[in-house]
Amino acid sequence: MKFSGNTGRPRIDGYVLFESLKADSIQVSAVKVMRDVRHTILIALAFAVMPSRAQADRVDFVRDVRPIFQENCYSCHGPEKQKSGLRLDIKAEAFRGGDGWGPSLIAGSASESPLIELVTSEDESSRMPPEGEPLTEEEVRVLTRWIDEGAVWPEGVDLAKPDDKSDHWSFKPLGVVSGDLSIDKLIESKLAEVGLDRNPPTDPRTFVRRVYLGLTGLPPEPSDVADFVRQPDVNTLVDELLASPRYGERWAQHWLDVIRWAETVGFETNAERRDAWHYRDWVISSLNDDKPYDRFIFEQIAGDTVEEDAALGFLVAGPANLPGQIGRDEAAMRSARQDELDEVIRTVSQAFLGLTIGCARCHDHKFDPILQRDYYSMQAIFAGLEYGTRRLRGSLNDSWTSQMPAARDRVNSLRAELESLRRKHQLREPLADVHTESFESVVAASIRMRIDATTNGAAASLYEFEVWSNGKGTPENVALAAQGAIASASSFALANQSRHFDNLIDGSVDRRQAYPWVAAKPGPAWIQITFDQPATIDRATFQRGSSMPADFVIEVMPVGSSQWREVIHTRDRLPRIDDTRGVDAVRLTSLSDEETKRILRLTADLRRASGELARLSAGPQVYAASFRQDPVATFRLRRGDAMQRGEEVPPAVPEFLGDLRLDFDATDTERRLAFARWLTREDHPLTARVMVNRVWQHHFGVGLVRTPSDFGNMGTPPSHLELLDWLAARFVADGWSLKKLHRLILTSETYRQSSAPRAEALTVDADSRFLWRFPPRRLEAEAIRDSILSVSGKLNHKGGGRGFDFFNQRGGLSDYKPKETFDADGWRRMIYAHKVRMVSVGVFGAFDCPDAGQMKPVRTRSITPVQSLGLFNSPFVNRQAAFFAARLRAEAGDDLGDQIAFAFELAHARRPRPEEQARLVTLATDHGLEQVCRAIFNTAEFAIIK
Amino acid sequence: MNDPICSCRSRLGRRRFLSGTVNSLSAIALTSLAAEEQAVAESPRIDPARPYAPRQPHFEAKAKNVIVVFCSGAISQVDTFDYKPKLIQLDGKPLPGNEKLVSFQGPNGNLTQPLWKFRPRGRSGKMVSDLLPHIGSMADDLCFIHSMKSTSNTHGPAENLMNTGFAFDGFPSMGAWVNFALGSENADLPAFVAIEDPRGNPQSGPNNWAAGFLPAAFQGTPFSTTKPIRYLDRPKDVSDTADRQTLSAVRFLDEQLRDRFPGDEQLAARIAGYELAARMQLSVPEAVDVNSEPPSLQKLYGADSPNELKAAFARNCMLARRLIERGVRFVQLFNGAYASGGRLNWDGHSDLKRQYDVHGEILDQPVAGLLIDLKQRGLLEETLVVFATEFGRMPMFQMGTYGRDHNPEGFTCWLAGAGVKPGISYGATDEYGFRASEKIVTPADFHATILHLLGLDHERLTVYHNGIQRRLTNVEGHVIQDILA
Repeated sequence: MKFSGNTGRPRIDGYVLFESLKADSIQVSAVKVMRDVRHTILIALAFAVMPSRAQADRVDFVRDVRPIFQENCYSCHGPEKQKSGLRLDIKAEAFRGGDGWGPSLIAGSASESPLIELVTSEDESSRMPPEGEPLTEEEVRVLTRWIDEGAVWPEGVDLAKPDDKSDHWSFKPLGVVSGDLSIDKLIESKLAEVGLDRNPPTDPRTFVRRVYLGLTGLPPEPSDVADFVRQPDVNTLVDELLASPRYGERWAQHWLDVIRWAETVGFETNAERRDAWHYRDWVISSLNDDKPYDRFIFEQIAGDTVEEDAALGFLVAGPANLPGQIGRDEAAMRSARQDELDEVIRTVSQAFLGLTIGCARCHDHKFDPILQRDYYSMQAIFAGLEYGTRRLRGSLNDSWTSQMPAARDRVNSLRAELESLRRKHQLREPLADVHTESFESVVAASIRMRIDATTNGAAASLYEFEVWSNGKGTPENVALAAQGAIASASSFALANQSRHFDNLIDGSVDRRQAYPWVAAKPGPAWIQITFDQPATIDRATFQRGSSMPADFVIEVMPVGSSQWREVIHTRDRLPRIDDTRGVDAVRLTSLSDEETKRILRLTADLRRASGELARLSAGPQVYAASFRQDPVATFRLRRGDAMQRGEEVPPAVPEFLGDLRLDFDATDTERRLAFARWLTREDHPLTARVMVNRVWQHHFGVGLVRTPSDFGNMGTPPSHLELLDWLAARFVADGWSLKKLHRLILTSETYRQSSAPRAEALTVDADSRFLWRFPPRRLEAEAIRDSILSVSGKLNHKGGGRGFDFFNQRGGLSDYKPKETFDADGWRRMIYAHKVRMVSVGVFGAFDCPDAGQMKPVRTRSITPVQSLGLFNSPFVNRQAAFFAARLRAEAGDDLGDQIAFAFELAHARRPRPEEQARLVTLATDHGLEQVCRAIFNTAEFAIIK
Repeated sequence: MNDPICSCRSRLGRRRFLSGTVNSLSAIALTSLAAEEQAVAESPRIDPARPYAPRQPHFEAKAKNVIVVFCSGAISQVDTFDYKPKLIQLDGKPLPGNEKLVSFQGPNGNLTQPLWKFRPRGRSGKMVSDLLPHIGSMADDLCFIHSMKSTSNTHGPAENLMNTGFAFDGFPSMGAWVNFALGSENADLPAFVAIEDPRGNPQSGPNNWAAGFLPAAFQGTPFSTTKPIRYLDRPKDVSDTADRQTLSAVRFLDEQLRDRFPGDEQLAARIAGYELAARMQLSVPEAVDVNSEPPSLQKLYGADSPNELKAAFARNCMLARRLIERGVRFVQLFNGAYASGGRLNWDGHSDLKRQYDVHGEILDQPVAGLLIDLKQRGLLEETLVVFATEFGRMPMFQMGTYGRDHNPEGFTCWLAGAGVKPGISYGATDEYGFRASEKIVTPADFHATILHLLGLDHERLTVYHNGIQRRLTNVEGHVIQDILA
């Protein structure tokens, strides 16, 4: 039975639907339909006599109003659809209104009620209902009267009940699972329900390769395989691998996927985020250290309180526009701030809670019990957050700090030396960024500044040029367009924004809003300002632009004269320390060349020393969140529009999840600390469940919940709820130890079983969701690349630090050129590649590498010809094939058969079958061992974990 | 309203499913699995071995395939297709009611008349400026939409919006959605091709053809006449025989594995992937070989132009036609590269006249040539040509420059070909060309209409991602019925 569809609004449908919607019955019997049809006819008859009665006494909701809704509204705003979030068949919902409109019914005032406005609109495109005839005048009259009479909607008359969105498995406490349970028992009981059983254990070679790839992302060496075959002790193997640093390097990538971490800002500029890599290293070492997961969370929310600064890279993992990419209007700036905070909320709520709280930015969540207010309360927790870099405390920082006194002494002694020279030569102080020059009072018609050079050689540039007159007692700037002054200049640059000389006299000096004058090209330039009428002037002030004038004269044109008169020049001033002009370019009156040189040497030394002091005093930096202690107030925003503020909201967690609520004036630290503690409560219904599910997912390819960052109503229910809860409880009881969790899973029979397909099981459960076998799957891009390097013998195990490059640039707008050949640095594990957002890396990007635009807790695993072309033809793979061949020759003796056997041991952790060996010997004989190696890298077996 | 990332699907369908089929214990278990499947019930079923196999649309399609000509940098509506006599009349005067308007780059100056003369074109007499006379001559075939309106005034987000439906990074592009929904008519070529401008990548780069959270198989494959598909050719030092022998060994090994893992779709898909790659090695060079087109056609497109950039773009236009002709589903043809102060794209802030004279020559004849060529071959009857940009420009010059600032409030796109009324203009901006004022068309409406022409209901083409059934059109979008033929 198809209820309403796209075929208009069959009137009868609305009614049938209404009666039966609660029914579990998707199947509505023909008899029932007939009855409903009759029923509708009766109602329709009743309708015919209604209007006169409605006029006579008060409008009755059930008798008079609801039928109008049923006829006209419910197909879009009823049980089946709630367009714009509006539902008119349930009282509370109807009064609450739709998304962004606020209440649709204002009891007592039809004229203010959006509902009346919408049904009476003369604009066809906005009038409701959108299709078919508008409401009749009589119907509108009934609705209007009903609302004006107070919109009385009796309790208990609704035929539908609102869904209780909080009645959902994942919002409830962990189920108490009693008895002697294990992963295997819980899996088996479900298998038994569908009449399946588990595969036998897989062979030791397959198993050892599976565990290696699963835990470390690298294949085992032949000796590792041999050891295990000789002594197949699973516990020892698992413990060894968990102790290996390779484990953290593998599993950190899974976490980075979840939070779409990258080292560029994203969007159009995609500029590099320098020093972001410390966060990657922090994740890797946290995993290797088996940092308890509650601690892992805590540090990422409030690491500043425990000197774990790198952990705060988490909060700013997402993309964010640079200030320069944001429009200069208030709306654009506010909405950009909202976007920044939105990324934080999405990161935190999806990663830790498995909730899509971000969906409540504009309206209450459609599926989960998250109110729009909850969204903004969560935003309030992070209201003090800023994107940028922060000091990275730790040993490096301490060492830098200890070097500061010496650096400061050096600066001070250079300064003193320079100052004594300045006095000796009677030079004036260096120019200031906002510089004022006084001169003898003169009545002038115009003033001009001739700039011969700038400190950095860039085109001359000034924001504002002010000329002060004392003529009327109080100083007055006469160089203003508003005062009738006129500016001119030698030239001005054409750019995306105004660089015009009118900017010099526009009276605007606020750098965030003002525009500078910039000359069209470097070299000498001049500006001139002619006053509205001659003025008595004695002072000029200029504000530097993107460059600083270093050598200039200021001249005035006295009234009655036609000659410029110099009033100020710069050749009697000590050069600024940022003056990078060469010795030959600087001329100081009354100083010899030698003396000038000495001064310039000193300014250069001081420049370097000051830079060094600034570097040490800032300390090593990490791209991570920083915080303002007194966060600005947070408001609920109507329809998510930054310009439409509603009420102020306190920092709090979503109401349905807990009662944590802080004062409006809580400090930033208090907010985040409270939140972190709440997240890591042992009885939190989501935190542990979400994480154990992620771990499960990466061992079996699919989580028990297939939507790992969405445990809400739109997510999928767990395939094995009891198991999930049992694991979560164990995880918490084991001190949130991820390594213990891995051990628990990897030593289970369920994990150790063979992946061999069985026809009868495939027909029941083709996806192996019941785990009647170990589900084989394709490896991720990183594991494929790392495996190639490992097998070829070229893998560089250097861990940590700044990433290597896949491109010719580390960030920027466009034109990324992929590197085709790499040296040892580029042969590190792929997790150490500098991660550029949105740009796919060569060869391996095609294997569904996340682009770090949106969070990707589950990677797609597509199979495409572009992957094949890359693996088969790219210089990278072919070069590694040559290294692989060289390794075989070096390590497996001279016999081709032995070499190929060793190749299989390395790549597949098994010996070749005779027919495989024969085939490859032929290939090697005809075309070289390199082609065999190229072929092996391209086999399906190499790229799957089975 | 700048809607963030949210979309919602009727929940009843899901509820109904959950509650409707439970009747035994084992069924509960199965239901829980089946219920997961339900979440993707509206998504196309993809055969992993043949991801590009043609798939049925939701209803009968008017258009089989699409070429999008995308002008990166935001081409000015008032200097091209949106003729406003009042703007000429009030040249040099402030914009009434917005005398002090501050926009993306700052304060605006006075109204500035179009920098090229407008003339009536074709039988319809449509006014098109002398910047694009060749395209103007095709006016009778075009369906102009003058009332486009965007929600972002920043290039990157706005290009994302026009090409992925969202201002944010990481969403599937329109071509990826179409590829996902419909596959391709040609098994030997990628189903979705993004042809870069010879000057470089567009502003939002690969976002414009990204797969987002769809499988990577559906992303656009970027190549052009100047930039081949990467890794298409065998390594230089490997002979053809060696290459074939090696490939055949790979196949042998994979088939061995498949025999041990019967029924594994992924293995079959992988074997198929290598076969398709091998076929692409032959079919792509053949498709890219625009030099095989007769001289008369080279001339029609302007591929014989001494202006190398124009000739290169013309060759890209010819490539677009050749791909469509071979059954490729979706082709994006970029005109304009990345941010460069308007030097390499349509971002004319500083010196619009001089810069657009350069860009106009590159764009005009090749696009008109493409339209004529498609029409002559009858391909325009089954191909939808879309001309788009990320937003428009101000009718004023910016204060202190000779160019126009970003204007998301009103801009022009056009459609031509399959299923679209030719020679009409839909919607309008106000009398200055400043704000869309009649029959406003949002990017979601634009996308809904394009999908509709391809036989796809934009509300039904969905895929689950992070809590939501995602659509190209988010929670919005209405098909523009009035322009459908």
